[in-house]
Order: sequence, then C-alpha cells, then structure tokens
Amino acid sequence: MGTPAAYFNEREHQICLVARMIENARTYWVAGGGSPMAAILLAKKLSAPEAVYVTEDGVVNPEPMLPLDPLMTMVSSRASYRALQWGTMNSIGFQAQIGLMDVGILNTLQVDPYGNINSTATGDYDGEHRRFGGPGGADSIASLCWKTILMTDQQKRKFVPRVDFISSPGYLDGTEGARERAGLPRGTDPWRVVTPWAPFDYEDRYMRLAGVSPFVTVEQVLAEMSFEPKMAKEIETLETPTEEELAVLRSELDQRGQITDVGKPIIRLDDGTYQFVEEEQAEAKEKETPSSW
Amino acid sequence: MPQLKILAEGKGEYLKVDPDGYREYVRDHKQRAMVSKLMSEKEAVEKFVANGDYLVYECNYLQRGPSSLIREVIRQKKEDLWLGAKFTWVAAALLVGAGCVSKLDVGFFLFGPVVEEAIREGRVKAYEYSNVVMSNRIMAGAMGLPFIPVRSFGGTDGFQYSGAKLIEDPYTGQPITLVPALNPDVALIHAHQADIYGNARIFGTGISHVESAYASKKVIISTEEIVDTEEIKRDPARTSIPYYAVDAVVHTPFGAYPGEMQGRYASDVGHVIEVVGATMRGWIPQYLDKYIYGVASHTEMMDKLVGYQRIREITGRATIKEGYSV
Repeated sequence: MGTPAAYFNEREHQICLVARMIENARTYWVAGGGSPMAAILLAKKLSAPEAVYVTEDGVVNPEPMLPLDPLMTMVSSRASYRALQWGTMNSIGFQAQIGLMDVGILNTLQVDPYGNINSTATGDYDGEHRRFGGPGGADSIASLCWKTILMTDQQKRKFVPRVDFISSPGYLDGTEGARERAGLPRGTDPWRVVTPWAPFDYEDRYMRLAGVSPFVTVEQVLAEMSFEPKMAKEIETLETPTEEELAVLRSELDQRGQITDVGKPIIRLDDGTYQFVEEEQAEAKEKETPSSW
Repeated sequence: MPQLKILAEGKGEYLKVDPDGYREYVRDHKQRAMVSKLMSEKEAVEKFVANGDYLVYECNYLQRGPSSLIREVIRQKKEDLWLGAKFTWVAAALLVGAGCVSKLDVGFFLFGPVVEEAIREGRVKAYEYSNVVMSNRIMAGAMGLPFIPVRSFGGTDGFQYSGAKLIEDPYTGQPITLVPALNPDVALIHAHQADIYGNARIFGTGISHVESAYASKKVIISTEEIVDTEEIKRDPARTSIPYYAVDAVVHTPFGAYPGEMQGRYASDVGHVIEVVGATMRGWIPQYLDKYIYGVASHTEMMDKLVGYQRIREITGRATIKEGYSV
C-alpha cells in the first residue's frame, strides 16, 4: 500500500479511509466542499482516476484547479474547470432521480442508528433549539443516490439514539420498507458511516461497527456513541495514511489546511505504535466555522 | 369517482399556488415589445421589489450572485420579504440581519447568531425544504404547473414543516411526495452579458437561473456587460434568458462582488472572510453599516471601499477563461 506516514491528523486519516472506498467508473454525488470533496479528489489522484463526480451546482466530472479559494467550491471557475458538463441544480437533481448517481458522500452534524441525518437543528425544533443551515443538497443525495457514505466525527453528541431533526433520510424508523413508504426510490440505502476512529455499515437497517483505527480501541469508539451499535463478527483494523496519500492531500488538495482542520488531533506512528500528540486546542469560536472553508 | 389519497401533509405555510393567476399576470405585465429596460440598481429595486414580496436570488452573495442588488434591497430597507433561501451562504443572514425578512423557505443558508435570534424570537419564520426541492419548486413554477412530484424529501422532519404532501400516485399506486410550485414575486439574477432588452447570457454552472426567470413575476437582471442585440443573434444558443421574461436590466460591472464571477474575477478572499466572520459572530450590523448603509451605491462601494488595487487582484486571479465568452 505504501509507507505508513509517521504523522497525520484525524481528518486526514478519515479522508484517506473514504478515498480508498472510491472505485473507478462509478458516479459520486459529493457534498460541495470539505472532506467529501477531498476524498473524491484524493481517490482520483491516486487509486481511482476514472471515478466520476458531480456537485449540486450541476458540474459533471471536473478537473478542478487547486487549491480552491475559501468557500468557492461550487459555481466557481476553478472548481468546475475542464468538466464534461456544466448544468444546474435541477439537472443534477434529475440525473440522480433517474438513478445515474451510484454513491453520495456527505458530512453531517448528527446521525442515529438508522442513518438519519440532522443538519437543521439540535434540541427541540418547536421549542429551545440551536439552529443550523438546513439540508442543502444532502437530502437529495441521501434520497436519490443508490448508496450513501456519511462522514462525521466520533463523538457522543453526534451519534445519538434518534436525531433531533431528520434533515436527510436514512432508514427513517428502521422498519423494512420505510423509505419506500415515504415515497423515496426503491433500492436506495444508507451504506457507510466513516469517522476518523471507525467505519460502520448496517445490518437489518441498524448501524454496525465494522472496523477500528489502530490508534483507538473498540471500547473508546463505543464510549463516544450514545447508542450501542451492532458489532461485525470480525472488527477489521484499519490502515493509516501513507506518505504518498498525505503528500497529495497536503501539497495539492489542501494547501491552506482549510479541509483538514489544522486543529484536529495529531497521531504519531512510532516504532509500530500510535500515539496522540498533545496540541493546542482550537478556540471554540474557530470550530464554528464551516468545515469547507 | 375514486378519491385521491393524501397519506401525509406538512403543516408549513407556503406561497399561494395559482398557475392561472400567474399566466394572467404574465399576459398583462411581461412586455412583448423590445423596449430598453436599462436602469440603475436604485430604480430597479424601487420599482420592482415591494415590501411583502417573495424574493429569490440566483446563486448567492459569494458565488456569481446578484450581490449588488441584494445590497440595494437592504439599502432601501425593504420589509416583510419571504426569501427562497436555497444555496445560500450569507445572503439570507444579511437580509435577515437588516430586518428585511419575515419568512424563509430554507434550502441551505449560513446560520449564525443573528438569524438564530430572529428565528428564536419569532421575528422570522422558517419553513423547511432542501436546495434541490426548492429548485424543483421553482422549475414547476417555470413550467406553469401547480406542483411537482419529487423522489426526495419524503420521510424527513423538514416535510412536516413544509408545504409538501405525500399522496398515493394515481399511476403507480406508490407513495409520492408533491411540493407546491413556486412563482416568486421577484427574482434577482446576475448575468455575464445582456442586451438592453434583457436577452441575457449566463455561463458556467448554476442553480436555477433560467427557471427563476420564467417563474417570477418581476425579474431584475444585473449584468457585467451590456452587449449589442446583434451579438446575441450571432449565437442564440447562448441566450440563457429571453428578453420578454425580464423587467429590468442593470449594468453592474463587479455586481457579484465580493463573490466570484466565473471568467471575469475571482472572489475577494479578504472580504469573503470578513462577511462570513460577521455572519458567524453576530457582526452583521457592522458589516451593513460599512458596506451598505455607509455608501450610496455599488459604484461608490467599489470606488471607496474596494479600490483599484483589489479590483486588479481579483481580475488577475480569474485565469480560467474557457467557456465564459470573455
């Protein structure tokens, strides 16, 4: 696979995990910006050059001129450079609605065991709550792509028994056929959730722990969840980023460190063992800035 | 007579759906004659944006949007607007912060304390959709239809707070979500090129600029460049919007500033960080004072607050020209 990198941060590791799931000659509808976009671009540079991606502004398979300016991840000349088509939100929505999009890649604020996604509000929507930006393109991605990969952080407050607000659908109440009963297309599924610590899949429409990163234990992962996931028979131990992956990520895709969150915990690989490196906590205010900037 | 079965419906208020009323409006108000619609941003907004209007803007304040027109709406202190807040970074927050807004149909916007407080205190009411569903609603409006079936949005909590309905599809017998068509009162759209009649060219990717132009009662186009109608006729396939859908044409070089206008200028990174920071930290009033209330017009803002050096910098960074007819 390449030489394991000696230093990397959690976000870089997560992006590499998702990049390795991406396949040639598959179509990906990628949330516009942030780690989902970094994952597809990394895959296209290294492991799956023929993977095809679209974003919600109607761009089909661009060769973006990197790095992008802050927030200019869509409707921008650099992000849409050398595309096969320039369409609109309606054109991409309809392409996905007829079944052209294989996999969606998304970020989220909150997820539950059924893969439901919240990006609208935490707390009681009808009462005291904290407001967020709404689903954006995520509802369509999670409804219309055949499968969805969700990226989030391994935190108790993010893995909740029931999301406070379903902005974008997973398996809804988890019963068989719930998505179809709600009018969503047949045969579409939440598929994977990937955090820096662990990947999850689903068994009978309920989230299942499938692996663990080598710098944490299964117990640590479970301690950062507010519900108990199902457990795969064998919990795979994941590979960490290689020097080659990080070289591309850092020097070509994210020169300004906008995507890979400079404040994320850094992990050091030393003589076969992984350790978290203490570093300054980013200011709380800093953390509120959108992930794509 | 078999009954149509409604399986579920949202309780959100939605803009009244009236396709025949819209047709009659178009019959009576959209000028068929080729007459010049060229006017200043001040005149266009005075004339075509009324208090209480449902307003859409295409793209947003940071990405090929009608930023100068949005600033003018704020400068004129329009009130009680209902925003189609799809694919929005800061535009909705600036309009809410300026007190222009009473309702939001949400696709996506950049939140922050000012909007949050307005929603919490009930000064602004939010209804929930998604970016694509809002674009689909506008498309239905542009098609002259009362609603459009969508294969997304069903099962979400947003559905509960929207104007959507889940019905049993009379053709397949399967459940299908319907959302109400949207015919906004006014659309603000920024173009690369237009003639004085409103034949407009928009290049690059986008959200729903063509659909918004057809769906909206009043359409204001701001344009980087005024071109001769002969130029339009040389390449008719590049006409995004035909003149008879348009009510006002405003010649506004750098109209998308501080956002990017593909092919012409990059975003002003410093200004983008300033306005996003203002939104996230509750400093919208200071931003409005500086860039909107503190100047009389877009031209004055560009002269006094942006200046030649930054204009050179943003135009110099727009190195990609392919596809943008420049």
